[in-house]
Formats: sequence, C-alpha cells, structure tokens
Amino acid sequence: MSEKKNLKEKKENLKNISKKGLRTMQRTRKRHIVREKARILKYGTSGFSRNIWLSSAATIVMAITLIILFVTVVASVILTNTAEMMKDKIDITIYFKPGTSEETLAELTTEIKKDPNTKSVDTSTSEVEYEKFLADNAESEDIINVLDEEMEKLMISKMQSTMRIKVHNVDNLNSIRELVDTNELFKKYTDKDKAPTYDVNRAQIATITSWARIARTGGIILAAVFLVISILIIFSTIRMAIFSRREEIYMMKLVGADKSFIRGPFLVEAEICGIIAGLVAATTSYFGFRFLSPKLEGYGINVDSINAILESNQLILVYLLFILAGIIIGRISARLAVSKYLNKA
Amino acid sequence: MILLDSVTKKYPGDSAPALDAVSLHIEPNEFAFLVGKSGAGKSTLMKMITKEENPDSGKIIIGGIDLDYVKKRHIPGYRRRLGVVFQDFKLLPRRTVYENVAFALEIAGMSGKEIRKTVPKVLELVDLLDQAKKFPDQLSGGQQQRVSIARSVARQPKILIADEPTANLDKLTTEEIIGLLKKINDFGTTILVTTHNENVVNSLQKRVITLKDGKIVNDQKNHGIYKLDETPAPKIPSRAVRTPGHALKPRKKVIQ
Repeated sequence: MSEKKNLKEKKENLKNISKKGLRTMQRTRKRHIVREKARILKYGTSGFSRNIWLSSAATIVMAITLIILFVTVVASVILTNTAEMMKDKIDITIYFKPGTSEETLAELTTEIKKDPNTKSVDTSTSEVEYEKFLADNAESEDIINVLDEEMEKLMISKMQSTMRIKVHNVDNLNSIRELVDTNELFKKYTDKDKAPTYDVNRAQIATITSWARIARTGGIILAAVFLVISILIIFSTIRMAIFSRREEIYMMKLVGADKSFIRGPFLVEAEICGIIAGLVAATTSYFGFRFLSPKLEGYGINVDSINAILESNQLILVYLLFILAGIIIGRISARLAVSKYLNKA
Repeated sequence: MILLDSVTKKYPGDSAPALDAVSLHIEPNEFAFLVGKSGAGKSTLMKMITKEENPDSGKIIIGGIDLDYVKKRHIPGYRRRLGVVFQDFKLLPRRTVYENVAFALEIAGMSGKEIRKTVPKVLELVDLLDQAKKFPDQLSGGQQQRVSIARSVARQPKILIADEPTANLDKLTTEEIIGLLKKINDFGTTILVTTHNENVVNSLQKRVITLKDGKIVNDQKNHGIYKLDETPAPKIPSRAVRTPGHALKPRKKVIQ
C-alpha cells in the first residue's frame, strides 16, 4: 500500500518538475527573443550611423522618390477635382419669353426634373435677371444714370426668364433636348429667338470630359508607373549599399549567425532610412505645396481638397502615410537584397 | 574528434577531384597541421568541415556530429560549435574589436551580463584588452588575427580550425599566433591548422598530415622535422566513429 503511495508521489513530483522545467524553458526562450530583437535594433542603429554616407544616399533617393509619388498622386487628385469643378460649372441654359411668371417657371422645373439626367435646376425671372444686370453694371455710371423708372420697366419687359440645368452626365443630353423640344409647356414658353445652349457648350463639355478622363485614368497609370520606378530605384540603392557589405554577411554566416540575426540589422537600417526619408519627403511636400497652391489657384486649378487635408489634423495622417510608405518600401528592398547573399552557401 | 572517412569531392569542370577518398581521424585534444601546396585540397577539406561544401561521397563526423544529418537550417547552430580562424581574418569591419568578439557570443544567445564578463577575459588572453574600442582597420595584421582567434575561442569550442592563419603575417607575429594556438590547445581544445609554412610546422613538433593532389600522402604523429614523403596514411580505428551528439568537452576551460 505504502509502495503504491510512494509511486504516486514520485509521479506527482515528476509532473511538477516537468511543468516547472517547461515554464523555465518558455521564460528563457522569451528572454532570448527579446535579447535578440534588442541586439538587432542596436546593430541596425549603429550600422546606420557607421555607414552614414551610404545611408544618407539611400535616404535622399528614397525621399526624392516619395516626393515624386506625392506629386503624382496630388496631380491626379487636383486634375480630377478641377475637371469635376469645371464640369459642375457647365449648365444648359433655356431662355423663356420675357414676363414668364415664377409659377410657370416652377411648373417647368417640375417637368424638367422628371428627366433622370437632371442634377439641379435653377431658375430666374425677368426681375431677377434685371437685378443681376444691375449688380454686374454697378460701377458703370453711364448705364445706371440712364435707368429711370420707364427704362426699368422696359428693361424688365425685355429681359428673358432663364432656367439653368445641371446634369449628371454631360455626354448625353439627348433626353433633355427631346423633353424641351416636345413638351407642350416648354414649347409654349421657350423663346423661339434664343435657342438653348447645349450646342454652344458642346465643344467645351467634350474637352473637359476628356480632360477629366485623362486625369483619372492617366493619374492612376502614372501613379502606378512611378510607384514601380520608385521601388526599383530604392531597391537598387539599398542593394548597392548591401552589395558593398556582402563580405560582412558571408563572415557572419561563417561564424554561425542565424539568418534572422544577419538580416535584422539591415532591415532596421532600411527602416530608419524609410522613417527619415518619409519625414523629409512629407515636410518638403507640405511646404512645397503650400508655396505652389496660390499659384495653381491662379490658373483656376482646384486645390481645395488637398489644402483641406494639409490644414487639418489629417496632416498627421499624411506624415504617417509617408513614413509607412518609406518603411514598407525600405524593408521589402532590403529583404530582397539581403536574401540574395544570405541564400548563397 | 574530427573524422573523415573516404571523403571525395570533385568540382564541376575540374579534371581531377579536389579531395580523393581522404580518410583521417584527429583525436580529442590533438594539435594537427594539414600541409600541402596550393591546390592540394586543404581549403576544400576545411570547407567540408565548416559545411560550406558537401562531399560527393564519404562521411564526415565532427565532434560526434555526422554532417550528413546537418540540414541547411541547422548549419548556423553547427558552426557555432566550431571555432574558425581564417587567413584573411574575416572580421566585421564596421564593428570594434570588442563587438567582433561579443558578436560570437551574441549569436549564441548569451546574456549581456555574461558577454560583458567574458569578452574582456578573452581579449586579455590574446593580449588585446587595450585595443577593445578600435576598429579592425586600425590594427596590424597580427592584432587582427588575434581578434579572429579571440572571437573563435570566446564560445569555448571543442574544436578550432585555422585556415592558413599565419599566411599574411611576418615571422615574429607568426610565432606569436602559433604560440597562442598552442596555449588554447593546452586548455583542451582540438586544433587543426592548415599551412604551407615549414617553420610553423617545425616549431611545434606536432602531428602533420600532408595532402597532395587531393590525397593524404603522409601522416606523421609526433614527428621530428617536416618533410614531404610518401608514408601511407594510417587506418581509422572503428571506435573513433561516434554517434551524433556525442561530443567530448574540453579538458579545461579556456576562459576560467
């Protein structure tokens, strides 16, 4: 009986010992991993500073390519926005007979809104048109002086009521044209002497539509091309930096360093390059854009959306995006470059 | 401790094999020289031991480890068990003397505290404690080789192999380096040195294995004066073949 008890106790003790051993092993393993990571970080940092010329060259190249990428993306965005803005300015203007009442215009608006291509409708009566005329010529004393009460009445009676229609798709105006031509209400009130403006704006609409398309598709293609070029440039620069240190990699292998321990410092160096390049590129791009945006606005280019981002808290996100792009590109390039020498022998 | 059994290696494009059925056994705590002219196969043999190259046929057992069973992912771990000294020192140029020696311990996962305790002792052994903060290019050839030796013995390996460790050194420095290797051997480390320098071999009166055209043509234990002759290589006793993992410890610790 007592023998059985002893055996049970021994088994229990063994279990406890193996559990304790396992815990110690796990603790040692964890400590080893932390230690290795800390050493990789230390050697990566010191490697960056000890190879300062090569590191600086790689950082500058990376910063330049990140700026090119930023310019490409921004150009694509502002071109698209500008095209959209210009497209938004295009409207179809329909002229009605002078004296068409507000109620009639409301009815006509209801009719035109039935067309699914209609985005918005803006109408103005003869009186409103006259007010606009006054506002436009407020500084012209010759005109203002001749406008007495009689003249005002005459002017209003001659001023046409108008309807400005904005559409969703400027390429297809046939349905609206058909509606204006066939609808009885429109037929009755449309001024026969002044035709609607779809034909006048057609060339302008076509140009802007093609610009918008070029900006969108061209921007995407350009961004993709530049992204590939940037990665290739950065990859080649980092590869050159690592090529000059291939002997070091070989030596480390010969003395028994694990691949991760050899690769680690090179990745850390590339990441430091990426962080610095990201910061430099983001700062340069920010100030560059702030400097250029008034000039671009002067050319009628819409930079509002980019300005809105740069002036808000989202600027931090822009910085983070730059840094992240730098880290990712640097890490991928360094990993590929080191692997080439690591996998030999 | 180092066992090669009928090891043959032929590089593609070569007419003759670099190593032709080479068999040798180096006992624990032995100091042996591997001599021969350029192209005799010394470096190929060393590369086999460090597993930079694999034999076409034959068996290699180092410190009880059958190299056939050492897979690619196990090579770093295997190399950490060896001490290797190179003709061109192979020091990390962008790291200081201290960091070069510490590197060997770091890759073995030693703690910072242990490293701070061990490295100065190793540097003291090779008489370079005062040069710890210098970079390799600030040292003489002899000093660089001593750093290389310090790095290779820092982990206290049971086996140290040195490939032409004195080839780039003057006579006085050569004597220093050989003296240092002898000292390490006295602590119980098995040492294999390749050289083609007669003076180095003759100064120690140790075992000399002579390679010629990829074959062992002479193997003299406790020889007198080294000269090339055609004494046949001895047969390897079967008891020398050990099971993988069975490695003898050094008699004494190199670093106390």
